Formats: sequence, structure tokens, C-alpha cells
Amino acid sequence: MEINQDPHYLNTQTPSPDMVRFFKVEDVFNMARANSLWPLTFGLACCAIELMAGGAARFDMDRFGFGVFRPSPRQSDLMIVAGTISRKMVPCIKTLYDQMPSPKYVIALGGCATAGGPFKYPGQYGILEGIDKIIPVNVYIPGCPPRPEALIAGILELQKQIKEGRTQGVMSPAAVNDSQDARPAEYKNAMSRAEFRKQV
Amino acid sequence: MSITVERNMKQWLLDTIKPDEFAEKDLKKNGILFEALARPDQIQSVAREFLAQRYFLESLTAVDFAECLELVYHFNRWDGCRRVCVKVLVPKEGGVPGNGAWHAPTLSSIFKSANWFEREIHEMFGIVFDGHPHLKRLLLPESSTIFPLLKSFKGEPKGSDVAQSLKLIEEDAKEFRVQEAQSLTKKDKDYYLNLGPQHPSTHGVLRVLLHLSGERVLDGEPIIGYSHRHHEKMMEIQTYFGCWPNMGRLDYVGAMSYNMGYALLAEKALGLVPPPRVEHIRVLMTELNRISSHLLWMGTFLLDLGAFTPFFYCFDDREQILDILEMATGERLTYDYFRFGGVDHDIPQEFAPAIKAFIPGFRKRLADYDKLIRRNIIFEKRTKGLGVLTKESALSYGVTGPSLRAAGVAYDLRRDEPYSLYPELDFNIPTATDSDVYSRYWVRFREMEESLKIISQLVDKIPAGETKLARVPKNFPKGEYYSACESARGLFGMHLVSDGSLNPYRFKLRTPSFSNLNSIIDMLPGCLISDVVAVLGSIDIVLPEIDR
Amino acid sequence: MIPELFTIILYGTLVILFVSVNALFLVWMERRVSARIQLRRGPIHVGWQGLLQTVADAVKLISKELVLPSESDRFLYILAPMLVFAPLLAAFLILPLGPGMVMRDLNVGFLFAFALTNITFIGIFIAGWSSNSKYALLGAMRAVAQNISYEIPLLLSTMGVVLLAQSLKMSELVAAQNSVWFIFLQPVAFLIFLCSSLAEANRAPFDIPEAESELVAGFHTEYSGMRFALFFLGEYTAIFISSAIAATLFLGGWEGPFLPGAVWLLIKTYAIVLVVMWIRWTFPRLRSDQLMSFAWKVLIPFAIVNVFITAVVLELQKI
Repeated sequence: MEINQDPHYLNTQTPSPDMVRFFKVEDVFNMARANSLWPLTFGLACCAIELMAGGAARFDMDRFGFGVFRPSPRQSDLMIVAGTISRKMVPCIKTLYDQMPSPKYVIALGGCATAGGPFKYPGQYGILEGIDKIIPVNVYIPGCPPRPEALIAGILELQKQIKEGRTQGVMSPAAVNDSQDARPAEYKNAMSRAEFRKQV
Repeated sequence: MSITVERNMKQWLLDTIKPDEFAEKDLKKNGILFEALARPDQIQSVAREFLAQRYFLESLTAVDFAECLELVYHFNRWDGCRRVCVKVLVPKEGGVPGNGAWHAPTLSSIFKSANWFEREIHEMFGIVFDGHPHLKRLLLPESSTIFPLLKSFKGEPKGSDVAQSLKLIEEDAKEFRVQEAQSLTKKDKDYYLNLGPQHPSTHGVLRVLLHLSGERVLDGEPIIGYSHRHHEKMMEIQTYFGCWPNMGRLDYVGAMSYNMGYALLAEKALGLVPPPRVEHIRVLMTELNRISSHLLWMGTFLLDLGAFTPFFYCFDDREQILDILEMATGERLTYDYFRFGGVDHDIPQEFAPAIKAFIPGFRKRLADYDKLIRRNIIFEKRTKGLGVLTKESALSYGVTGPSLRAAGVAYDLRRDEPYSLYPELDFNIPTATDSDVYSRYWVRFREMEESLKIISQLVDKIPAGETKLARVPKNFPKGEYYSACESARGLFGMHLVSDGSLNPYRFKLRTPSFSNLNSIIDMLPGCLISDVVAVLGSIDIVLPEIDR
Repeated sequence: MIPELFTIILYGTLVILFVSVNALFLVWMERRVSARIQLRRGPIHVGWQGLLQTVADAVKLISKELVLPSESDRFLYILAPMLVFAPLLAAFLILPLGPGMVMRDLNVGFLFAFALTNITFIGIFIAGWSSNSKYALLGAMRAVAQNISYEIPLLLSTMGVVLLAQSLKMSELVAAQNSVWFIFLQPVAFLIFLCSSLAEANRAPFDIPEAESELVAGFHTEYSGMRFALFFLGEYTAIFISSAIAATLFLGGWEGPFLPGAVWLLIKTYAIVLVVMWIRWTFPRLRSDQLMSFAWKVLIPFAIVNVFITAVVLELQKI
């Protein structure tokens, strides 16, 4: 997969670097963007349930204006990567991210989206160890899964970043090539069936 | 009745098949009645005979040995635990996996559930099933070249291969887009539509490829594997204790049942008897978790039908249950609480009073739900007579859990293969007759009431005592073990091959949603797109449990 | 000539201002009402009681990138949101706000408003068609089918009122309700009108063109930024207009004691909008074929019978 390391790809703040910018207007826009983050309805695994809980009655993300979950990437500002990223899912996530209009933000929710979580071990064959290998991330939220409070704290942190105008996403310095745990795998060797049957 | 069937079956096997190996097993220890080794050319007639005796194919897996691969078929019946195991050896002649040298006959024409099971074995072990209609990769991307569950697989080499495989995945996606575009330009009126992997009502990352004519579904095929997390391979390098967190993350919505299943497997195999306090805590936890799982299902299912508000009410109730569970376990979702012969730590003082305070409020809520949802005319119109799964189809697909009970079969492992405290408890097994979306809703709804009944029976009687056994072995003795329990979605089975070391040799997880989801292939034709969403919602799937 | 032009410009500006502010307020109201129904608080942190929440949403949507899907029909794709939004503004022409306070008291009255609001469906169909997305196309297909079916009961249900008032003019309809509101004389017609206008405005339980759990976002799946916001504005303005017409036809329009007519109209309209929201957050969605059969097998026969009975009763009274 071709990973765009071009700085404009990382800068999710402005639609185009060549656009004329009015700084006061930008500030107003940033205030508005910070207070109206619409997440993409998108869950991968366990963390997605906590994401749902965050939107539901007790935690109610809508209090801060984060409750408008949009099913279409075209209408959302925030991608909350909630769960383990299997390799089969990687191109889909990349496509979804590219379909979102700028300015867009990414939150890596939970251990798996941050760095592979419990499924990272030497010799693993199925997952991508961290979403920041393919798209820039603004806020990482630890936990397995993080509590809804942590999610809300993470979004408020993102809100702070947007208000201050520092929304440069972070991409992992390790390329996709290095995404695997470098240690050798500890898989077992096959045992002989005849001997196994004898001893059982 | 069933005993005669089983005796006849054994006799038939011994007379007709003349197995090379035959062993009586202890149901209480190994989880099966007997096992037999058939030759590859016999397995189809064996399967036909089992189907004629109304057995279903509970699980099909393979084990990699040095000289051969062993296919393990578990057959079971709907009346009590009559699980039997038939094995077939696939010799490892002709070298490497992937060159199509390892052959076995397919059962997909006899049991529909074998279709997916065999595809999974094909991609994980490289066995070619002769006569299989659709032998493609199931969980991994189509372009993968690895056979991960073979013991010769040592992980992909670091570096370019990963990037290479990712590139291949992207190519798969591109190819799909081209096919899709072609399907649009065709002159025929039918076309293909991708529901997922990112879609609001696929409950995760399921992709359903719908073949449509207008809005009418001609046929649909679920495509899974988008959250494949290699649990089975991962557990092979972990200690038995280290497998506990995996149990919480397989079916994160009803994690307690999975804890229960793993604890049962160990206790059966090792002959441990947990103290009574532990049993009480376990059943309380599992049933509370079952209610919370059903609540989550109910909320999202109604969300699929377009009713937003019940979701919030269900989550409100669910949060109260999570509070109680969190009080004892410290976790909200991915519980990792049970231990072999015990639980991790004792419950706090406030646990029982909290449950007692929860029960009356929830009873009232259930009555409200019934009034607001089931008696709503739109709900009734949307769900009645939709997505009918016949008994034959359910048998062929190995459907279990509430989806099966909605077809009128009162098969519940808590009754039919009793474990823990369930034999002593007073509860009913709700069934329905129509086997449509409405019945599935109704069965799950009444299951919540039954779980509540179990909880109120136990909550006052938690005995004092130990919550752990003093000495618990760290490993399983050499051998094969099978154990099953009733999760919120159906029969959760675990097949363990232990080589006596500290970590499992092969750990197969038979997850209920896998077979249940497979059965929607029979339910989809003739539906509208709106109905697809309702049918998908009604079978209650959890994707990471399917993809493992 | 000059004052006429001036009035038109003034009125147009006022309408656009009112429509934007009103839509923002309605979205805020919807979110608070739904939160109230759903055991939660809704937006409360942005501005006093969250009143600035929708303003923030709007400003953000203005600042978003406008995505143009690569294989879309560009001209139609850009045209569609305007086609959806603009005709709704013109419908404000005929709303009477008080005695003599109406921009154009047309002879065809509210028929003009319905004729205009129907143009939005052409916009919706164009949006679905030009996006080159199957979900959008399915949504557009559903929208057209739904619109054609529900137009008939909508207009038939108003015929009873027209028979009572003997006029299509909005001002005369209000005047005819001087003694008693038509909702008491024509309760069936009111219910049919409410159902049909829900369907016309794509509101739950008739929101199948944008059914979120089925078609992702329906006809506007591919729209982003301000173009999407126009659909959003259009939806809420359509609700407001149909509620305002319902208030005029059945609830006596601007008539009421003490307060000025415009305020009374607003109060009545918002009351109906509240009911509309309440319905949305209570019911599941209908299936498309059920939706059709509901229109053709239930609403239309009832509406026809209602017109017939009204006519017969009126004739009998004359004798």
C-alpha cells in the first residue's frame, strides 16, 4: 500500500495549502469545528461498544455536540478508529479516511488502534499494529477498551487542539514494512500423531 | 429415545464403517461419547447417516500433526448431549500446502454449515475439499498466500512481505470495484450492492454482498473476516492462564459466558470441583451478562428498524448491569474474571444488595418495553413472517441459541447439557413457533425474564466460603477435550488438543454466531433491503466472535 | 415599480434570514426534544442551553471541503441542493401572518405552496442520480415513489377544508375559521394531512429515502459540507412550511387573542412541529412497500370518503 508521507496529507487542518487564509476567520472556523465534531458511525471491535455507550443515555456525547453520528464519511469530521484493524480491513479504512472532507481528525481508540493492543505478538499474521501506520492520528486513547469517560476526555483534548490550531496529525515513523513485531515467532513445531495417540 | 439412537449409531459405525480407531470417551471429562476414525472415502456416508438420524454438524476443524492432518467432525443432537466425534486423516503427501496436494471429500452437499467450516480449514491448513462449490478464502484476504494454523507457519518474515500482502489486499479491493462497475453497465436489471464493511447496521465489519433486482434481494452472501484477530493461533503461544483475556474479547458483549465455557473446559478436564460460592457467583454473573447482551441486541436491532429511542433505554438499563458487574470485576466489557476452579477475587459486600435493587426496576422496564415495542403495529408489520428459517435449514446450518429456539426447538445447553448450578434452578426455555424475526425478538425478550428469574432465585442464597481452589494445575494432561456452554447467542464449544505442555497445541473455538450468520443465506432471498437489515439484526451477531 | 422591487428584495432577505435562523432553532429543538425523550440532556455546553450548538454546526459545515465525487454528473450534482432548497423559500409568499399581512394572497392559495415544495423532489432525484452511488440512487428512487403516492392524500385531505371555506385563498381560509377551527370539523382530514406531510418531508416513520440504517444516508450519501447542509436546511424548512400550512388550514392560522397574528402562527406551527418530532423519536420506520400500501389503501380511501361526506353534509345543510 502506498503511504502518502507528503506533509499536506498529514496536515488535515486546511483543505488546500494554496488557499487564501484569513486568520480571524480561521479562528472562528476553528471554534466552530471544535464544537461540532461529527463522528463517523464506524466500529471495528470491542471498543465500538464503548463508543456506543459513550453516545447513549448515561454519557451522552451529544452534550458537547459530538453526538451527531453520520453514517456517510462525506458528512463526518472525526473518525474514531474503535477496535482492532485486521489487514483485510486496512484498504477500507484508508478509503473511508480519504473520502472524508477536510478538515478531518482521527482518534485512535483503545490499544489495538494505537499499537495493536493484545493482538500484537511476534509472528502475528492478521492485524495492522496501529492505525497511525496508514493515516495521521490526532489523539490516542489508551485502554482495552477505554471507558466512555476516557473517550469523552479524548474528544475534549482534540477540541482543545483544534481551538489552538495545532491539528497536525501524527503518523508512525515506522512504515508499514516495520509494522510487525521484530522478534522471532515462538510457534510450536508439529508433534507426531502416532505418539500422541499412544500416550492418550 | 435418544439413547437408542445413540446406541444404533454406534452399532452402525462399528458395523458399516469398521473404524480403524474407536474409543469410548467420558462425557463428563472429554465432552464426547465416543470417537471413531473413518477413512476419507467413508466420511460422506457417515455424514449422511448422521443427518438421517437428525444430528447436526456442531463443529468441524483440523489439527496439524507431523505426519498427517486430522479432520475432526463433532456431531450433536438437539435432545441432550449426544456429542460424538468422527475423525478423518489427511496424509501429508505431495509436499507443501497450497499446491493442492492434500485432499479430503466435502460435506457441503450434506450439511450446509460445512461450507464455511471447510473454507476456513482450506485457508488455514491448505486442505482442498473435492467437490466444494466455492472453495475460496473465508477470513483472510483472497490474495493471501499463508496457511497460518499449520505448525510449519512461523509468522511472516519481517519487512517487505507485510507491505506486499497489504498491496495485494488493495488489489483485491480494486478488482472488486471493477466487478461492481461492470455489474452496473450490464443490460440486465439485476445488480450487486455491498452492504458493509462500514455500514450502520451490520453490527461491526460485516460485508453482505447482495444480488438485487430493484430493491428485491435475489440472493445474498455474507463476507466475513474483516475483524479476524487470529485468536486461535495466538492461544497456541500463550499459557493456559494467558488465554483468559482472549475469552473476554471473543464475544465482548456476552464475555461471561465465554469465561464460563473456558472454566468448564478446564474443570472437566482436570476434574476440579469449584466451591459452591463460586458456582453461585458465576451463574449470577453469566445471567446478568446475558441480560446485558440481549439488551444491547434489542437496542441495536430496533435501531436497525428505524426506532431510535429504545436504544437509549436499553443502554440505560445495560449501564446499571455493567455497574454491578464492574463492582465485582473492575471491568465494563471484556471480562476476565473466572479462573480454573474459582473466580479471580471475591465479590464485594454491596454486590447482592445492588442486584436486589436492580431487579424490580428492570421488571417494570421490561413491561414498558413490551407495551411500547411488541405491541407497536409498525414493529409487528415489519417483523412478522419475515426471514423464516425452517427447522431443516436450522439443522443443516447447525443454528443454535435463541434463533433455533424461535424455530420451536427447545435446545438450550443449560438444560440439555447441564453445567454449574443450572440443573437445580427453576427456569423455562422460551420457544416460539414461527421462526421469523418477530419470534426471535420474542424469544430473546422472554429469555431476559427467565434470566431475571434465575438471578432472583440465587441472589439471596450466595453461600459463604472460598472463591478459589488452593491448588490448580497449570497445564492440561495430554489429550483432547471438548466442552460447550450456552452463550447469549447459542452453543459455544471449545475443542482443545493438549500436548501436555504449558500452552495449547490446538484450540478450536466453535462460536455460535458463525453458524447462525451462515444461515442468513437461506433467509435473504425475496427480502427487500429494509428486510435484510431486520433479518441481520434479528440473528444477533458479534463479528469478532465470527471472525475470531 | 421601484417600491415593488424594494418590497420583493426586503421580503426575500427577511425570508432567507428567517429560514436560516428558524432551521437552526428547529435543529436545536429537535436535538433537545429527542434528548428529553431519550433520557439524556442533548447539547447543553455550547452557548446558553446549547443554543449556539447548531450555529457551530452551520459555521463548520460552511468551512468544510466540498467534495465532488469523481464520476458524478458535475452540473446536476451541484444543481441538486439548490433545487431542493430554493423552491421552499418561495412557499413563504402565501403564508398569511395577520389581517392583510400576506405577500401574495393568490387565488390558488396553498396549492401554489404544494406545487413549489414538490420541486424539491426533483432536486432529490437529481441528487441521487448524479452522485453515481447505488445507495443514493436507491434513496432517490424511494423518494420519488413516496412523493407521488403521498401527494394525492395530501391534497385530497385539504379538499374538505376547501369545501367548508368555499375558497383556496389562505386569507379566506383563516377567516372561515373565525367561529370554529377546522380541526374540529375535519379531524380525519387533519390526521391524513399530518401523515402525508410527514411523508412529504421525509420524516420518520416515513423517512425511507434517507433511511440511515438501510441506505447509509440515502440520496445525500455523497454530499458534503454546505451542499449537505442545504439538504438539511431544506428538510427542516419543509417541515416548518407544511406545519405552518397545517396550522393555517386547521388551527385557525394567525387568529388568536392578545398577541399579534405572526406570533400566534408561530406558536401553532411550533406546536405541530413538536408533534412531528415526538412522532419521529417514537416509531420504527415503515418498509417501502408498506409505505405505499398505507398511502393507497388507507389514506386515499379515507380522504375520498371524507371529501364525499363533507360535500353531502354541506348540500344537506343548504336544503
